[in-house]
Amino acid sequence: MSQDVVVYALSTCPWCKRAREWFTAQQVACEFINIDELPDQEGDAAADKAHELSGSHAFPVVVIDGSVVVGFRPERYADLLGIK
Amino acid sequence: MDTAARKEVFRYLFGKVVDPLGYKFTPDEELVDMLLEAEVKTELDTGAPYCPCQRRTKVRAEDMKIVCPCIPFHRRHFDAMRRCWCGLFVHKDVTDPSVLPQIPEDEI
Amino acid sequence: MSESPWVATLEEVKLQEGLPTPINPKGVGLLLIKTDGAIYAVRNRCAHMGCPLEGGKLEGFVLTCPCHDWRFDIRSGAFLDAKELSIGTYRVKRKEGKVLVELPEAAS
Repeated sequence: MSQDVVVYALSTCPWCKRAREWFTAQQVACEFINIDELPDQEGDAAADKAHELSGSHAFPVVVIDGSVVVGFRPERYADLLGIK
Repeated sequence: MDTAARKEVFRYLFGKVVDPLGYKFTPDEELVDMLLEAEVKTELDTGAPYCPCQRRTKVRAEDMKIVCPCIPFHRRHFDAMRRCWCGLFVHKDVTDPSVLPQIPEDEI
Repeated sequence: MSESPWVATLEEVKLQEGLPTPINPKGVGLLLIKTDGAIYAVRNRCAHMGCPLEGGKLEGFVLTCPCHDWRFDIRSGAFLDAKELSIGTYRVKRKEGKVLVELPEAAS
Protein backbone atom coordinates (compact mmCIF):
# COMPACT_ATOMS: atom_id res chain seq x y z
CA MET A 1 0.00 0.00 0.00
CA SER A 2 1.43 3.39 -0.89
CA GLN A 3 1.32 6.18 1.63
CA ASP A 4 0.60 9.83 1.16
CA VAL A 5 3.76 11.73 2.11
CA VAL A 6 4.23 15.49 1.82
CA VAL A 7 7.40 17.32 2.85
CA TYR A 8 7.14 21.08 3.32
CA ALA A 9 10.65 22.45 3.06
CA LEU A 10 12.88 25.52 2.74
CA SER A 11 15.51 25.41 0.01
CA THR A 12 18.05 26.86 2.47
CA CYS A 13 17.58 24.10 5.05
CA PRO A 14 19.93 21.08 4.96
CA TRP A 15 17.58 19.04 7.21
CA CYS A 16 14.82 19.40 4.64
CA LYS A 17 17.17 17.98 2.01
CA ARG A 18 18.08 15.13 4.31
CA ALA A 19 14.40 14.33 4.81
CA ARG A 20 13.92 14.15 1.06
CA GLU A 21 17.01 11.95 0.70
CA TRP A 22 15.74 9.67 3.45
CA PHE A 23 12.40 9.08 1.70
CA THR A 24 14.20 8.53 -1.59
CA ALA A 25 16.51 5.98 0.03
CA GLN A 26 13.45 4.18 1.45
CA GLN A 27 11.88 4.25 -2.01
CA VAL A 28 8.89 6.10 -0.61
CA ALA A 29 7.40 8.59 -3.04
CA CYS A 30 6.83 12.00 -1.52
CA GLU A 31 5.58 15.35 -2.64
CA PHE A 32 8.42 17.74 -1.83
CA ILE A 33 7.49 21.42 -1.63
CA ASN A 34 10.23 24.04 -1.32
CA ILE A 35 7.95 26.84 -0.23
CA ASP A 36 10.51 29.61 -0.70
CA GLU A 37 10.92 28.67 -4.35
CA LEU A 38 7.23 28.94 -5.16
CA PRO A 39 5.74 32.12 -6.62
CA ASP A 40 4.85 34.58 -3.81
CA GLN A 41 1.18 33.77 -3.31
CA GLU A 42 1.63 30.04 -3.68
CA GLY A 43 4.59 30.13 -1.31
CA ASP A 44 2.60 32.05 1.28
CA ALA A 45 -0.29 29.62 0.97
CA ALA A 46 2.03 26.61 1.40
CA ALA A 47 3.74 28.31 4.36
CA ASP A 48 0.36 29.01 5.95
CA LYS A 49 -0.62 25.39 5.43
CA ALA A 50 2.64 24.15 6.99
CA HIS A 51 2.12 26.51 9.93
CA GLU A 52 -1.43 25.33 10.41
CA LEU A 53 -0.21 21.72 10.46
CA SER A 54 2.87 22.21 12.63
CA GLY A 55 1.93 25.12 14.87
CA SER A 56 5.39 26.55 14.31
CA HIS A 57 7.59 28.18 11.70
CA ALA A 58 10.23 25.46 11.87
CA PHE A 59 11.03 23.22 8.90
CA PRO A 60 10.89 20.53 7.58
CA VAL A 61 7.23 19.75 8.18
CA VAL A 62 6.54 16.17 7.12
CA VAL A 63 3.01 14.84 6.74
CA ILE A 64 2.60 11.06 6.52
CA ASP A 65 -0.98 9.93 5.98
CA GLY A 66 -2.21 12.94 7.91
CA SER A 67 0.26 12.64 10.81
CA VAL A 68 2.56 15.62 11.20
CA VAL A 69 6.25 15.36 12.13
CA VAL A 70 8.23 18.58 12.58
CA GLY A 71 11.96 18.25 12.01
CA PHE A 72 14.27 15.66 10.45
CA ARG A 73 13.28 12.58 12.48
CA PRO A 74 13.80 9.39 10.48
CA GLU A 75 12.74 7.13 13.35
CA ARG A 76 9.34 8.88 13.50
CA TYR A 77 8.96 8.68 9.73
CA ALA A 78 9.79 4.96 9.83
CA ASP A 79 7.25 4.34 12.60
CA LEU A 80 4.49 6.06 10.69
CA LEU A 81 5.39 4.23 7.49
CA GLY A 82 5.57 0.91 9.30
CA ILE A 83 9.19 0.45 8.21
CA LYS A 84 11.27 -1.65 10.59
CA MET B 1 31.84 41.83 0.01
CA ASP B 2 32.08 38.34 -1.42
CA THR B 3 30.35 35.34 0.10
CA ALA B 4 33.49 33.74 1.53
CA ALA B 5 34.49 36.94 3.30
CA ARG B 6 31.00 37.51 4.70
CA LYS B 7 30.92 33.93 5.97
CA GLU B 8 34.14 34.61 7.87
CA VAL B 9 32.60 37.76 9.35
CA PHE B 10 29.60 35.73 10.51
CA ARG B 11 31.90 33.14 12.06
CA TYR B 12 33.66 35.85 14.02
CA LEU B 13 30.57 37.81 15.11
CA PHE B 14 28.38 34.80 15.89
CA GLY B 15 31.17 33.01 17.71
CA LYS B 16 31.42 35.96 20.10
CA VAL B 17 27.67 35.88 20.74
CA VAL B 18 27.20 32.15 21.30
CA ASP B 19 30.30 31.49 23.43
CA PRO B 20 28.99 33.20 26.59
CA LEU B 21 25.68 31.40 26.07
CA GLY B 22 27.43 28.02 26.33
CA TYR B 23 27.33 27.16 22.63
CA LYS B 24 29.88 26.66 19.85
CA PHE B 25 29.76 26.08 16.11
CA THR B 26 28.87 22.48 15.36
CA PRO B 27 31.95 20.31 14.70
CA ASP B 28 30.21 19.27 11.45
CA GLU B 29 32.18 21.67 9.24
CA GLU B 30 30.28 20.79 6.10
CA LEU B 31 27.02 21.75 7.80
CA VAL B 32 28.52 25.01 9.10
CA ASP B 33 29.60 25.88 5.60
CA MET B 34 26.19 25.15 4.06
CA LEU B 35 24.28 27.06 6.73
CA LEU B 36 26.55 30.12 6.66
CA GLU B 37 26.38 30.16 2.87
CA ALA B 38 22.57 30.15 3.09
CA GLU B 39 22.63 32.94 5.67
CA VAL B 40 24.89 35.14 3.55
CA LYS B 41 22.52 34.70 0.63
CA THR B 42 19.50 35.41 2.82
CA GLU B 43 21.12 38.54 4.19
CA LEU B 44 21.77 39.73 0.65
CA ASP B 45 18.16 39.04 -0.36
CA THR B 46 16.36 40.26 2.75
CA GLY B 47 18.78 42.37 4.80
CA ALA B 48 19.22 39.91 7.68
CA PRO B 49 20.79 36.45 8.16
CA TYR B 50 17.62 34.61 9.13
CA CYS B 51 17.68 30.98 10.23
CA PRO B 52 17.84 28.77 7.12
CA CYS B 53 15.35 26.31 8.67
CA GLN B 54 12.67 28.69 9.96
CA ARG B 55 10.16 30.60 7.89
CA ARG B 56 9.74 34.36 8.12
CA THR B 57 6.27 35.63 9.02
CA LYS B 58 6.29 39.22 7.74
CA VAL B 59 5.74 40.35 11.35
CA ARG B 60 8.96 42.12 12.28
CA ALA B 61 8.79 41.36 16.01
CA GLU B 62 8.51 37.66 15.21
CA ASP B 63 11.05 37.62 12.40
CA MET B 64 13.74 39.32 14.47
CA LYS B 65 13.61 36.32 16.81
CA ILE B 66 14.93 34.07 14.04
CA VAL B 67 17.90 36.21 13.03
CA CYS B 68 21.04 34.17 13.61
CA PRO B 69 22.20 33.45 16.28
CA CYS B 70 18.61 33.17 17.53
CA ILE B 71 19.56 31.23 20.68
CA PRO B 72 18.59 34.03 23.14
CA PHE B 73 14.99 33.93 21.91
CA HIS B 74 14.63 30.12 22.05
CA ARG B 75 16.81 29.32 25.01
CA ARG B 76 14.66 26.72 26.77
CA HIS B 77 13.94 24.88 23.54
CA PHE B 78 17.53 24.86 22.27
CA ASP B 79 19.04 24.08 25.68
CA ALA B 80 16.80 21.01 25.83
CA MET B 81 17.97 19.87 22.35
CA ARG B 82 21.57 20.91 23.11
CA ARG B 83 21.60 22.46 19.64
CA CYS B 84 19.84 25.23 17.80
CA TRP B 85 17.10 24.35 15.33
CA CYS B 86 19.23 24.45 12.17
CA GLY B 87 22.16 22.85 13.97
CA LEU B 88 24.68 25.61 13.32
CA PHE B 89 25.37 25.76 17.05
CA VAL B 90 25.58 23.02 19.66
CA HIS B 91 26.28 22.99 23.37
CA LYS B 92 30.01 23.26 24.06
CA ASP B 93 30.25 19.72 25.41
CA VAL B 94 28.82 18.12 22.25
CA THR B 95 31.36 16.14 20.24
CA ASP B 96 28.99 14.16 18.02
CA PRO B 97 26.17 16.38 16.75
CA SER B 98 24.67 13.54 14.71
CA VAL B 99 23.09 12.12 17.87
CA LEU B 100 21.10 15.30 18.55
CA PRO B 101 17.70 15.16 16.87
CA GLN B 102 15.47 18.10 16.05
CA ILE B 103 12.65 18.17 18.60
CA PRO B 104 9.82 20.62 18.05
CA GLU B 105 9.27 23.14 20.82
CA ASP B 106 5.86 21.76 21.80
CA GLU B 107 7.45 18.36 22.57
CA ILE B 108 10.02 19.81 24.96
CA MET C 1 51.78 59.73 36.94
CA SER C 2 49.12 58.05 34.86
CA GLU C 3 46.76 60.11 32.75
CA SER C 4 43.26 60.75 34.11
CA PRO C 5 40.75 58.34 32.61
CA TRP C 6 38.12 61.10 32.52
CA VAL C 7 37.68 62.57 29.07
CA ALA C 8 35.72 65.75 28.40
CA THR C 9 33.20 65.32 25.59
CA LEU C 10 30.18 67.45 24.71
CA GLU C 11 28.65 70.37 26.50
CA GLU C 12 25.64 69.08 28.36
CA VAL C 13 23.35 71.64 26.70
CA LYS C 14 23.99 69.87 23.41
CA LEU C 15 22.38 66.67 24.68
CA GLN C 16 18.72 66.36 23.91
CA GLU C 17 16.60 64.44 26.41
CA GLY C 18 15.96 60.92 25.13
CA LEU C 19 18.04 61.30 21.98
CA PRO C 20 21.14 59.07 21.88
CA THR C 21 24.07 61.16 20.67
CA PRO C 22 27.16 59.55 19.13
CA ILE C 23 30.60 60.68 20.30
CA ASN C 24 34.11 59.38 19.66
CA PRO C 25 36.40 60.21 22.58
CA LYS C 26 39.87 58.79 21.93
CA GLY C 27 38.44 57.00 18.94
CA VAL C 28 36.02 54.93 21.00
CA GLY C 29 32.49 54.99 19.56
CA LEU C 30 30.04 55.79 22.35
CA LEU C 31 26.53 57.05 22.75
CA LEU C 32 25.60 59.65 25.30
CA ILE C 33 22.02 59.39 26.43
CA LYS C 34 20.30 61.89 28.68
CA THR C 35 17.13 60.61 30.18
CA ASP C 36 15.20 61.39 33.30
CA GLY C 37 17.84 63.93 34.32
CA ALA C 38 20.74 61.45 34.27
CA ILE C 39 23.35 60.91 31.57
CA TYR C 40 24.48 57.47 30.48
CA ALA C 41 27.32 56.43 28.18
CA VAL C 42 27.24 53.13 26.32
CA ARG C 43 29.24 51.55 23.54
CA ASN C 44 27.77 52.49 20.17
CA ARG C 45 27.99 48.95 18.88
CA CYS C 46 25.43 46.19 19.17
CA ALA C 47 26.56 42.97 20.88
CA HIS C 48 24.93 41.01 18.06
CA MET C 49 26.49 42.03 14.75
CA GLY C 50 28.22 45.26 15.67
CA CYS C 51 25.60 47.61 14.23
CA PRO C 52 25.82 51.21 15.44
CA LEU C 53 23.09 51.72 18.04
CA GLU C 54 22.51 55.35 17.16
CA GLY C 55 19.13 55.72 15.52
CA GLY C 56 17.86 52.99 17.81
CA LYS C 57 14.63 53.58 19.67
CA LEU C 58 14.85 54.55 23.34
CA GLU C 59 11.95 53.65 25.61
CA GLY C 60 12.58 54.34 29.26
CA PHE C 61 16.04 52.87 29.81
CA VAL C 62 15.77 50.36 26.97
CA LEU C 63 17.63 51.03 23.74
CA THR C 64 16.63 48.89 20.75
CA CYS C 65 19.18 48.30 18.00
CA PRO C 66 17.88 49.53 14.63
CA CYS C 67 19.33 46.50 12.78
CA HIS C 68 17.71 43.45 14.39
CA ASP C 69 15.91 44.86 17.45
CA TRP C 70 18.28 43.57 20.14
CA ARG C 71 17.36 45.43 23.35
CA PHE C 72 19.77 46.77 25.95
CA ASP C 73 19.35 48.47 29.32
CA ILE C 74 21.44 51.63 29.05
CA ARG C 75 22.07 51.68 32.82
CA SER C 76 23.83 48.32 32.96
CA GLY C 77 24.43 47.55 29.29
CA ALA C 78 22.59 44.25 29.77
CA PHE C 79 20.99 42.54 26.78
CA LEU C 80 17.41 41.93 27.87
CA ASP C 81 17.04 38.48 26.27
CA ALA C 82 20.24 36.85 27.63
CA LYS C 83 21.95 38.02 30.78
CA GLU C 84 25.34 36.76 29.53
CA LEU C 85 25.51 39.40 26.78
CA SER C 86 25.88 43.15 27.11
CA ILE C 87 27.24 46.33 25.63
CA GLY C 88 29.92 48.33 27.43
CA THR C 89 28.85 51.10 29.77
CA TYR C 90 31.00 53.97 30.98
CA ARG C 91 30.83 56.20 34.02
CA VAL C 92 29.78 59.77 33.38
CA LYS C 93 30.15 62.98 35.37
CA ARG C 94 29.41 66.60 34.72
CA LYS C 95 32.01 69.33 35.13
CA GLU C 96 31.66 72.99 34.24
CA GLY C 97 28.86 72.31 31.81
CA LYS C 98 30.74 69.51 30.08
CA VAL C 99 30.01 65.83 30.07
CA LEU C 100 33.02 63.74 31.12
CA VAL C 101 33.26 60.04 30.38
CA GLU C 102 35.58 57.63 32.16
CA LEU C 103 37.56 55.74 29.56
CA PRO C 104 39.90 53.21 31.12
CA GLU C 105 42.80 52.38 28.79
CA ALA C 106 41.35 48.99 28.04
CA ALA C 107 38.28 50.59 26.52
CA SER C 108 39.94 51.48 23.25
